[in-house]
Amino acid sequence: MNEERRVRPYLLILAVLWGTSGVAGAADPLPHEEGIEGKDYVWNEMQSEKLQALRAKGDPQRGSIAFEVCQGCHRAGALGRVDGSYPRLAGQHDTVLIKQMTDVRAGRRDNPRMLPFADKHVISPQDIADIAVYLRGLPVPPDNGKGPGEDLDRAKKLYEADCADCHGKQGEGINDKFFPRVSGQHYKYLLHESIAIRDGERRNTHPKMVRTIKGYSDADIKIVSDYMSRFAP
Amino acid sequence: MTRNENGWRCLAAGLLLAGSTAWAADPKEIAATVCLACHGEGGNSVVPNFPKLAGQHASYLEKQLNEFLSGKRKNEAMAPFLSSFSKSDTAGLAAYYAAQTQTPGAVADPKLAEAGKKIYEDGNTESGVPACMGCHQPKGEGNDRYPRLAGQYQVYTLQQMTDFKSGVRNNDKGKVMRAVAERMTEQEMQAVSEYIAGLQ
Repeated sequence: MNEERRVRPYLLILAVLWGTSGVAGAADPLPHEEGIEGKDYVWNEMQSEKLQALRAKGDPQRGSIAFEVCQGCHRAGALGRVDGSYPRLAGQHDTVLIKQMTDVRAGRRDNPRMLPFADKHVISPQDIADIAVYLRGLPVPPDNGKGPGEDLDRAKKLYEADCADCHGKQGEGINDKFFPRVSGQHYKYLLHESIAIRDGERRNTHPKMVRTIKGYSDADIKIVSDYMSRFAP
Repeated sequence: MTRNENGWRCLAAGLLLAGSTAWAADPKEIAATVCLACHGEGGNSVVPNFPKLAGQHASYLEKQLNEFLSGKRKNEAMAPFLSSFSKSDTAGLAAYYAAQTQTPGAVADPKLAEAGKKIYEDGNTESGVPACMGCHQPKGEGNDRYPRLAGQYQVYTLQQMTDFKSGVRNNDKGKVMRAVAERMTEQEMQAVSEYIAGLQ
């Protein structure tokens, strides 16, 4: 036993050599797949990982554990932030969550900020399914960030003419069609995402959505985002 | 199958078992003879460079010990002692230190700690630093999956974050902690380390 406990100097030398060869965790190249900008873009194409997650049976208990790594930004209870820096995920449709997570991982929605935490080394396709059902079941309190409350009558007309078919009259979305729920979401998040969609920067968007709001001014988007933020969650 | 073959199999299995369990030394004895000098009595180090181990989650301690042994985590100060225990000792050592009570840490600079609290609880939305508490829990208590941070020496916490940022330490699951540290400034790391020292 005593012999085993003897210090072995060569191990120290080895360790020092190893230590100096340590290199910074070089960032992996960002994934990239064709999106709305390409002529071959197919919205919501069923690639393998998305299918895998959609077919897996999600478990909310496991999901709450897998979601820990997301909480630092999306907050406990997945309530997001009023300043719009991180969206509320609580109560979102599971299909939508799976689509967005797999699109980010595939590089069809650019999100370098989120990617290291949603990467395949951290989250498995089963985890995605688990997280999605966990989030879907979370309560959505009515304290989401609201807009300034201007021009809501005109906003209602725009919303009901252009948005309600897909996102629902009360902003409830359609789970089967992967159309997100917008009720309960923070105004500032709705605002900058809608602008990004109009301008083609959110590359995994439905082409119909881009066509629909192409003619919207910033002011139009502002009032409609405000209107959406006021749906009862 | 003959009787003889069975006999040999039993003997082989017995030897394997002996190799993995019977030779594991008493963790208390290893702690008192090998670890004590740096990590202190019951894992309450009194030298800030060396981490307190008392009250740390066993899952984390066992992973670290195994990774020191395998070379996945490298540390100059630990290196000379790696011949003094083996893989069969790590679970026992981890359980021993997890069961000890940690001595509270102390905040030296309350203003810095206040700035650290903000990052710990809110992160930095400008640079994309997540709130530490998302994984490490609101009071730094950690859980089976993420280490306890509360009450740890500032110097040690800061050194680990610095090493994650530079990549010198790279045994974090899925590179998550490296991704976080890469986004943090030196000042933010100092502030968070200060705040963590005062958590209980």
